[in-house]
Amino acid sequence: MNVQDLIKSYGHKTVVNEVSFEVPKGKVLSLIGPNGAGKSTVMGMISRLIARDAGVIQFEGEDLSKWKSKELAKHLAILTQHNNVQMKLTVRELVSFGRFPYSGSRLTDEDHDMVDKAIAYMELEDFEDRYIDELSGGQRQRAYIAMVIAQDTDYVLLDEPTNNLDIYHASNLMRMARRLCDELGKTVILVLHEINYAAFYSDYICAFLNGKIAKFGPVEEVMTRENLKEIYNVDFEILNINGRPLTIYY
Amino acid sequence: MHKAKKVNVRNVIRLVFLAAAAAAAVAVYLLIHSHPEKPKLFHYILSLRIPTLVCMVIASISIGAATLIFQSIVNNRIVTPALLGMSSIYSFLHTAAVFVFGTGSSLYLNANLSFAVDLVTMGAVGTLIYWYLFRATGHNILYIMLIGTVLSSLFGSTQSAMIRVMDPNEYDALLTTLVADFNHVNGEIIALAVIALAAIGFLLRKELKLLDVITMGRDQAINLGVDYDHVIRRLLFGVVLCMAVATATIGPVSFLGLIVANLSRQVLKTYKHAHLIVGASLMGMLALIGGQLISQHIFHFTVPVSTFVTIAGGVYFLYLLLVKKGAY
Repeated sequence: MNVQDLIKSYGHKTVVNEVSFEVPKGKVLSLIGPNGAGKSTVMGMISRLIARDAGVIQFEGEDLSKWKSKELAKHLAILTQHNNVQMKLTVRELVSFGRFPYSGSRLTDEDHDMVDKAIAYMELEDFEDRYIDELSGGQRQRAYIAMVIAQDTDYVLLDEPTNNLDIYHASNLMRMARRLCDELGKTVILVLHEINYAAFYSDYICAFLNGKIAKFGPVEEVMTRENLKEIYNVDFEILNINGRPLTIYY
Repeated sequence: MHKAKKVNVRNVIRLVFLAAAAAAAVAVYLLIHSHPEKPKLFHYILSLRIPTLVCMVIASISIGAATLIFQSIVNNRIVTPALLGMSSIYSFLHTAAVFVFGTGSSLYLNANLSFAVDLVTMGAVGTLIYWYLFRATGHNILYIMLIGTVLSSLFGSTQSAMIRVMDPNEYDALLTTLVADFNHVNGEIIALAVIALAAIGFLLRKELKLLDVITMGRDQAINLGVDYDHVIRRLLFGVVLCMAVATATIGPVSFLGLIVANLSRQVLKTYKHAHLIVGASLMGMLALIGGQLISQHIFHFTVPVSTFVTIAGGVYFLYLLLVKKGAY
């Protein structure tokens, strides 16, 4: 996936201004930055949820807007935070929706296999017959990830997946994002607020500031005191734990 | 067997029971005090009851389907198209047609032509208005509700302004087609109404299959490959036309959609619209035919069906808001 000169304005305010980058395939890429820096808007545009004002998004050799929505759904999955489903839906039914781009509402045996695998992968067997509105936030998030796994796409986009999760569930979720990349070979793009999760679990970091890319590169290159001071305007200490840079700020 | 499958089987059984109950209501409605021993009277009674019955069935299906689809589009189950003023837009358009062309024109005298014109204008104007509302507010249901309520009074007042300057005779003639009710249903347009409903169902067959996914919300629907804006626009068009059909055949019944859509959701506890729509339609038939039976044979026409529906609907609405707090 290649992004060129992406622009998005709301009224007079330009929230994304000529953003260009290349998504490294088969890696975990985290988009970070302060509030209003444009990271979520970029995520929205590369996942076709938000219309772009200008720019080109090349996906697998073709512009994103040229893709048929249904075809794209087999290659790219996006999970946002707006998931208040107002209906009675069991975990299994939710995960089955991941097969919708392939078979509509009539699942084949192969689809059922994929659903079984996704449920097993997220260790949701005990919950699969529970209604999702009866689950805790962490369990529900896992159910949605299972749906994305069932969707079986090369690209998985997660918009602030750790929001509203406690430390236990948030770190589990980050490990899961890592596994999606390492074990299933997917390209994972995350929008994250917690920079230590970004530093510890991703391969590349793209840092936004005022609608532009401030820094883009491998984790070690981006996570320096100078860079972080520039992006967040806060003093950071950088520690090295398990060979990964971690930050302390207060 | 998974719970989902069990629920499926359970719901099919429940729907069969509902269908049986509706069929029983139909039979009772047609045959009660029908004097089958006097063939002439029997035929006369049936010739009165059958058009009313067919109109009630048509209205039940259109209101049930329209309300469920609309609720799923806006992801909110205490909103109905009627609350957003769709019925008053219909009354306004119908009045405007008579106002401009007069009751002497063929537009008024030919009920089918008049209905066809209503359908076309309603389809165009209604879809445009609500589609624009959806876009302009970014699908914010609170704004849509507010603007819908304002629109409802705007069209209501404009309509009454037109009526006020109308010739009294024309007004009188208009009123008989405008305020359809169960005792003088608009029987002439039955064939066209059935054709319209069938056409809507046929044209929207692909979109109707997407309703289950649409209920997951805009982001999820797009993620799963739904061409969201296009589908929503077409579904809205269907909702507006269904409301026009219902209002034209039996007149505005504001709470009916709310009751049947929610009862259907409550009884079936599923997200599958194929089941929900059938359930809501059958419950609509039960409510209308049952109400009509009570109105005819217990209150002897002193209390119209819409009164029962409004009272029951009002209580149920409060129950949904206060007791269930909008949850299932």
